[in-house]
This record gives sequence, structure tokens and C-alpha cells, in this order.
Amino acid sequence: MKYALLILAVFLAACSTPVPVSQRFPDVPKALVERCESLRKIEGDKVAITEMLKVVVQNYGMYYECAAKVDGWNDWYQEQKRIYESVK
Amino acid sequence: MLNWVYWAIIAAGITGVLAGWIGKWIPFYGNYVKILQPVGIVLLVLGVWLRGGYDTEMSWRAKVAEAEARVAAAEQKSQETNTVIEQQVVEKTKVIKGKTEYITQYLDREVVKKEEIIKYIEQCPVPKEIIDIHNQAADLNKAAEGKK
Repeated sequence: MKYALLILAVFLAACSTPVPVSQRFPDVPKALVERCESLRKIEGDKVAITEMLKVVVQNYGMYYECAAKVDGWNDWYQEQKRIYESVK
Repeated sequence: MLNWVYWAIIAAGITGVLAGWIGKWIPFYGNYVKILQPVGIVLLVLGVWLRGGYDTEMSWRAKVAEAEARVAAAEQKSQETNTVIEQQVVEKTKVIKGKTEYITQYLDREVVKKEEIIKYIEQCPVPKEIIDIHNQAADLNKAAEGKK
């Protein structure tokens, strides 16, 4: 009877098997994976100041477009990290 | 269903153990005590083991279901966040492109027509050195990539 009770106690523990539940890696928005364009150069040897200014303005625009993507990546990372950690 | 089978095995085991005890005092039944008691103990142990396993299994399934629900909710939220971020980036890019276009058009439409600007353009073309410096600066990324 003593042995039976001991075996009972051991068996009560039963078995445990960890079951992994995997979380899918989130996709990145398409707008973020587009590469930043190369800056424009001034064409020609004799160029008017207004033509040069136009190129400069376009390059500023491209810089800010690229900065928007970088900011987007930072936001994406912070948000996805927060969501991922909320699951644990 | 399985739950009831396990309970039935436990009940049969307890019955066997008790019958083994009480049977000692029953004259005819006493002959079977030696068999009933060990069978009862075996059934009781088996029943408790199966019941324990069943409970553990159910507990794990509940945990897995809960974890899956949390993951599904997170994936949904992740998708929504992606949409919001994409919209923000697309919107910002659109505004920047629009503003760049507006400044360029304003330059072509208004600035170049001003007399002092026309005079300046005619008299002072940008020297080649200045253009070269600008173009070198525009290619700084190539230097960083080791192409220059």
C-alpha cells in the first residue's frame, strides 16, 4: 500500500511537453524598402545660377524623402518591438 | 468522453480496494480478496495516472490556445501598424514631392522673370569649379561605398 501511494504521487506529476507557438516576423511596408535616390548633379559647364538652384532644391527634396523613410523605419521598429514584447 | 473513462477506471480501482478490505468479513466474498485488492490498486494507480496526464494535456492545450490567440492579436496589430506607418511615409513623401515641385515651378515662373535675376544670370554664370564641387558632394555616397 505504501509503495502504491508513492507511485501514485509520482504519477500525479504526469508528463509535460513544451509546445512552441511561433510568431511570424512582420512584413515591412513597401514604402520603406524603396532605396533612396542618388542626388542630382549639375549638367554642363556654363550654368545659370537658377539652374544650379533648381538642382539644389531637388536634392533637398530627395534628402527629406529619404529622411521620411528613415523615420518610418525607426517608427516601424519601435512599434513592432513594442507589439512583440507585449506577447511574451 | 476520455475524462469519464478515466474516472470509471479510478472508481473501479477504489471499488476494488474497498471490496478487498470489506470482503474480509464477508464469508463467501473473502475468497476473492487476494485478487480484488491488487487489481483495485493497479486500476486506481492507472486511473490516477491517466487522469493526471489528461489534466496536464488539457492545461497545455489551454495555454497553447491562449498563446496562439495572443500571437494572432499581435500579428493583427502589427499589420495595422504597418498600414499606418506606410500611410504616414507615403503622405510625407507626397507633401515633400509637391513642395519641391512647387518651389521649382515658382523658380521657373516668377524668379527668372525678375529683372535683377535676369541681369545676374547674364553677367554671372556659375564657374565650373563651383559646379564640380557641387557634383563631388552629390557623389559622396559613392566614396563611402568605395567606388571612388
